[in-house]
Amino acid sequence: MDNTLLSSSLNKSFGKSLLYTLPMFLITFMFMTGGRLNFSDPYSLLATLIAFLLVNILYFMMHYSGKTDRYRVVLFIIFAMSLSFTLIKNMIAIRSSMSFSQADVLECKIPFCHLVIPMMIIPAAFTKSIIFPGSILNGFANISSMVVLWLVATIVLGRGFCSWGCFYGGWDDGFSRIRKRPVIKHINEISRWMPFAVLFMVALTAALTLVPTYCDWICPFKTVTEFEQVTSLESASKAAIFISLFGGLVVVLPILTRKRTQCSFLCPLGAINSLSNKVTPFTVKVDREVCNECFKCVEVCPLYALSREDIRAGKVSIFCSKCGKCVDACTKNAIHYGIKGVPAGHLKNFSRNLFLFVSFLFLAIFSAGAIISSFQSLLKLVF
Amino acid sequence: MTDSFILGLSSGSACLVTCGMVMFPYLMAGSAGVKRIAIDLSLFLFTRFVIYFILATMAWYFGQAIFSNPLVRNFVPGILYIVFAVMLVWYSISNSRNPKCPAEIVKTVNDKRLVPIFLGVVNSLGFCPALFIILTKGATQGTLLQSYLAFLAFFVGSSLWFLPLPLAGQIQKKEVLKTVGILATGLAGIIFMIKGLTNLIGGIING
Ligand code: SF4
Ligand code: SF4
Repeated sequence: MDNTLLSSSLNKSFGKSLLYTLPMFLITFMFMTGGRLNFSDPYSLLATLIAFLLVNILYFMMHYSGKTDRYRVVLFIIFAMSLSFTLIKNMIAIRSSMSFSQADVLECKIPFCHLVIPMMIIPAAFTKSIIFPGSILNGFANISSMVVLWLVATIVLGRGFCSWGCFYGGWDDGFSRIRKRPVIKHINEISRWMPFAVLFMVALTAALTLVPTYCDWICPFKTVTEFEQVTSLESASKAAIFISLFGGLVVVLPILTRKRTQCSFLCPLGAINSLSNKVTPFTVKVDREVCNECFKCVEVCPLYALSREDIRAGKVSIFCSKCGKCVDACTKNAIHYGIKGVPAGHLKNFSRNLFLFVSFLFLAIFSAGAIISSFQSLLKLVF
Repeated sequence: MTDSFILGLSSGSACLVTCGMVMFPYLMAGSAGVKRIAIDLSLFLFTRFVIYFILATMAWYFGQAIFSNPLVRNFVPGILYIVFAVMLVWYSISNSRNPKCPAEIVKTVNDKRLVPIFLGVVNSLGFCPALFIILTKGATQGTLLQSYLAFLAFFVGSSLWFLPLPLAGQIQKKEVLKTVGILATGLAGIIFMIKGLTNLIGGIING
């Protein structure tokens, strides 16, 4: 009874939810179609329509049901899988292989990825050069557009980027939902700082060697995107590291812990995004007046961003990615989206609506291209 | 050079935390604020620099003979890297990071003005696999100048950790920095483990 009353304070009537969805409907329509539908290519038309409907139905449901994470994660997972699918498809079309050769590196033909950004900063400041073998302005996933996109998303969302903007987060987010109960329940608290240690090491080694060491040696997502051709002991060791980190941190540990372990313990960009939580206007707040300390939120948080002490102190940590899982889990509506400067417990609905609009827009715009392209390929495959 | 720098950096962090509890009180005891600590620290670092200079020279002269043996050349560096890596990883995961540091000996020095110099000597000569690796590196360089450069990079990397000492009192969130430092040391251990293993496998392949 209590539970129903509380969740109904966030959800809306059908009509009101439609009204809230209308701006998203118009913006995504313009973005996905460029203002007019292309009837000459039925596959592309159908793929665009499916993607458009998917995005808007999910957004509508967020308002109608009052639940956030449940619908966010659907698009987030589809985004991650579509991106890998599209990238691999493009690589195979261009190079006939998922691996790249030294010639591709020399000709700067590697698509840029936002995870490289932490390693570019120091060399760019001191040597005025970009240490990534990709194109600065031209082609698929060029460096300048990706850096600008990441920068805007990070300033607006803070670590919200990790649940609403990242191209890869959907992988471990997806695997972390496979089991109903975690097998491994506790971790050492200090491991939460691991991404900062990784950031420190990769920024330093990249600055010293002028090579993006994270991509070169560590990134688990090489397994589902592209990697260096195995031609030597060194490249074989790299491939082994990529695959074992993907298997361990993106697949096995998320299943066993129900947490996003790659994002919690490895990703250096996650560390930078955590710091950016300090400047973003949006946050997650704990209303101590109504919290009954059931700690369901602590249990479900996929990024180890909440501890019992945090809840008792009425705050969330800098690791929070604003995914909304704790907000969905709280039966008292005590943990909620908020705006900095507004006290906890105030303007709950307004803050949530505003945050959802901005963050979902990012997710929809980031994911649209990859989702349409993969749907199109699937349609061609089936029909 | 990069390798030696990172080697210094990772040994520096381990050394700072293991020896920190022993060294800081001496570096800071009775000192009148930031200026005094800065002077003591400079003396400490200068001593280390001189010691490394001497070591680089000795390593190069004696090493040429020892490392002409291919068996030693192919296997010793890899094994040393692995030993060092294990030490770093153990250090970062172990709960008992009790100060067990060669600098304990300074407790016997009476003239406190000599303490920074004394600390510089024991700290640079402390029994540590990183020192053996850098000695090996110095010994296997083509020229004496290259040996100096390798030691210089090691010195700079390992000294960086000591530089914030004069401001230690004013640094906030020390616990967070310490935690990140310890975790980074563990990561460095993993990097050296991979390096050691590839060195060894390379050595086996090369016969
Ligand atoms: S932590 Fe890294 S991989 Fe995970 S969502 Fe954030 S940026 Fe993406
Ligand atoms: S604190 Fe809540 S919103 Fe933040 S990451 Fe954890 S579950 Fe998501």
